[in-house]
Amino acid sequence: MNESTAKEIVISGMGVVTPIGSSIGAFWDANLRGRSGLRLEDRMDLSALPCGWVAGLVPEDAKQAVRDRWQVPGRSWGDCLMLDAVEQALDDAGLSEPLTGPAGLIWARVWPGPTGSDPKDYENHMKSLGARYSQVGNSPAAVAEYLADKDLPLETVDLSTFPSDIAARLGTSLIATRLEATCAGGLRAIAEGARLLRMGKVECVVVSASVSRNTPYVLSQYGQLMALSRWREPAEQASMPFDKRRSGMVINESAGALVLETADHARRRGVEQVHAVVQGWGLAVGTGHMTAPNVDAVEHVMRTAIRRAGIDVDEVDTVNSHGTSTRLNDLTESRAMHKVFGSRMPDLPVSAVKSLTGHGSAASGIIETAVSALTLCNGVIPPVVTCTEPDPACAVRTSLTPVEQPVDTVLKNSFGFGGQYAAMVFGRPDNPRLTPRPIQAAA
Amino acid sequence: MTSSIVITGLGIASPAGEGPKPLFDAMVAGDTFFDEASTNGRSSRPWAMATVDPSDTPWPSGAPWDKTKKYANTAAQAAVYTALQAIGVAGPATAAEADRCGTVMAVSSSGADDLGDIIPQLAAMALTDPRSLAKLLYDEVPDYSYIRGIPSQLGQFVSMANGFRGSNVAVYGEAGANGLGALALACRLIDSGELDRVMVVGVAPAMSVTSLVALDREDPLARTAETGRGPFDAGRAGALLGQGAAALVLESEHLAAARGIAPLAILRACEAFAATDREEALDHAVRAVLSAPGSEAQAWWAHASGSVAVDQQEWQVVQRHLRVPATSSKGTMGNALECGALVDIAMAVEALARQTVPPVGLLAEPDAALDGLDAVRGTPRSMPDLDAVLVTSLNHGRSAATAGAAVIAKGANS
Repeated sequence: MNESTAKEIVISGMGVVTPIGSSIGAFWDANLRGRSGLRLEDRMDLSALPCGWVAGLVPEDAKQAVRDRWQVPGRSWGDCLMLDAVEQALDDAGLSEPLTGPAGLIWARVWPGPTGSDPKDYENHMKSLGARYSQVGNSPAAVAEYLADKDLPLETVDLSTFPSDIAARLGTSLIATRLEATCAGGLRAIAEGARLLRMGKVECVVVSASVSRNTPYVLSQYGQLMALSRWREPAEQASMPFDKRRSGMVINESAGALVLETADHARRRGVEQVHAVVQGWGLAVGTGHMTAPNVDAVEHVMRTAIRRAGIDVDEVDTVNSHGTSTRLNDLTESRAMHKVFGSRMPDLPVSAVKSLTGHGSAASGIIETAVSALTLCNGVIPPVVTCTEPDPACAVRTSLTPVEQPVDTVLKNSFGFGGQYAAMVFGRPDNPRLTPRPIQAAA
Repeated sequence: MTSSIVITGLGIASPAGEGPKPLFDAMVAGDTFFDEASTNGRSSRPWAMATVDPSDTPWPSGAPWDKTKKYANTAAQAAVYTALQAIGVAGPATAAEADRCGTVMAVSSSGADDLGDIIPQLAAMALTDPRSLAKLLYDEVPDYSYIRGIPSQLGQFVSMANGFRGSNVAVYGEAGANGLGALALACRLIDSGELDRVMVVGVAPAMSVTSLVALDREDPLARTAETGRGPFDAGRAGALLGQGAAALVLESEHLAAARGIAPLAILRACEAFAATDREEALDHAVRAVLSAPGSEAQAWWAHASGSVAVDQQEWQVVQRHLRVPATSSKGTMGNALECGALVDIAMAVEALARQTVPPVGLLAEPDAALDGLDAVRGTPRSMPDLDAVLVTSLNHGRSAATAGAAVIAKGANS
């Protein structure tokens, strides 16, 4: 496949719901200002855990706005978050009229059992489950009879009307794919969306993902895996990719959505300015370990993405890193970057959005792609304000202030449990869409 | 599809046993596999179910399997078991080929295993335990719990089995079309030139009772499985459920030929659509696959799970495009959800090889409302000119509006 000469795929619409902004403008503003969305989680007793006291949560006023717009009986919070991000992206793309042909929908929603935004919801679920077990045990027939007249517990509500909702919104049928590739799922979804367009199967594609897993279960399990930050205060410093004091990631709730289409299709609709060009990607699965990343695999997907983009390594202007703030991920990713970029590393700007938002699994890949696009269009690389003591073992160039420079190409990385590796190259469109700069951003 | 994609490997774990042949033989013989307790009303669960004993799909031994065993639930066992079967037929990837071979999983995370028992016990413990809930779960939940619940984790295990390193992704849920969504994505991976060979593995393990209750509320599940309650039958009273796993190896025809592999069958076309309603989705999928070159099907392998409403909707759509002899595997082993359509693809491959369409299990009296339906009943039908089979599949549930279709044609090794 020669992707450099294939159909040009552009990002024409973007939407986000994040701890640092629930619109693209507010989100970009927060990125440039280095405003953190992390805070101490004081609604559940985590005192006896060796980690996990900090979370990246969508502010209450923003959550209420999402509920007001989207919550109906039977609709999960994850779907509400996605629908809000998708609607933003469709509005941004100017897709208000029904489409004349099929569209694509690729989405990732973290499975529901351990999910939730308010820890009380999970605690109440466990109380109900405990009462059920105390009363009828685990006998299938008894459990079925017990549940006959009750609302079902949240672990069963995994199927939703989300694809039908989007089909109705777009006024057309969909080639729809719900996928899961752990924390690389966002980039994987973009790749599959771009593939549908390159093959000419659809007019446009909506890509989206959401995550909300602020529950005692998730914190306890990530705690067992020693993956969570052990930093306590100030909370804003808890996620510090590439800093020598980093001790783990901070989980978040968030959603992101993109509209992809061919450049020709966008032009035919009268859309002159777009956010980014999807130039190429690299995907791989490793089997050496279930959770630990591998330097060679990271290098492989980065080189593959660059080669398929039809560019040279020296043409990459900046890396939007996976940057989780775990000891091993950041070291692995930086070692791989050194192998790919060699002597350029001291001068190659690297950003790490999770320093402000925390880690949103598959949603991170989409949200950080939005940052990559904004970087391209506006010529500003966001700071990593929590990396105040850079780890010499990583030796990547992060900045405490926004870096203004022309950016034609961004390399974006995402990796995940289960040996998931993805990298993607985005290019600056000929006619980029500028986002208004916050007044103090350059200060 | 821009070039022919062929099936070069198959693996099945079903209530009939290992591989496609025992299941096809059972269909021909009119055997069914629903557990006896279900048929006489003394079931430990209130629904009929054709089950697979996890001890029949053992986890491999030796390196690297021993160190990963605790992270493998029954679904992972079945996935690896069928993957090894399929790769045994298709041949392994060489080191030079590995990066251009990938895995697509069709599996959800709602399988029931020991964790399904442990979490309710811990919830009851938490009612009186002095520890905070987070601390209790941190202390008491087995350390394999979170990893086991990740759908694509099974794909990493499958990648260990098949040696494919190109990529791994899970495709499932409300747009999965019981494996046809995964199969369609696999075709795109090959057609787009990203990969040369893809293994698609679907798994339907034992489900939690709460998941079954949820499915029953969406669209009633069959409580008995006996003659006269099968798919398309006038007396059908709900969707029959089953367990199983299926693995298919797909690759482009010319690459298979270059490897010296004779295709088991040709996958002419495969698409899955979502829409605002189920019939519209199925209509799009059937139209798309039947319009592909060489897709003139002489038989229909229907989804036909025994659902009163869905069987009727399925026929109403398909009859607009095709009126040919129809069969279904659901009366034999139930709907194995995420892998149900992959099992049906494997059965279609067998049908092409034997030039025979087996009867619909448990079908006694076809529903008169299904006007014009030619459902194969009682004995298998010989079809000496059978060259291609249409396979359809629909997601379970009242609110599900996803459907898929595929056309399978004779291969050199059929």
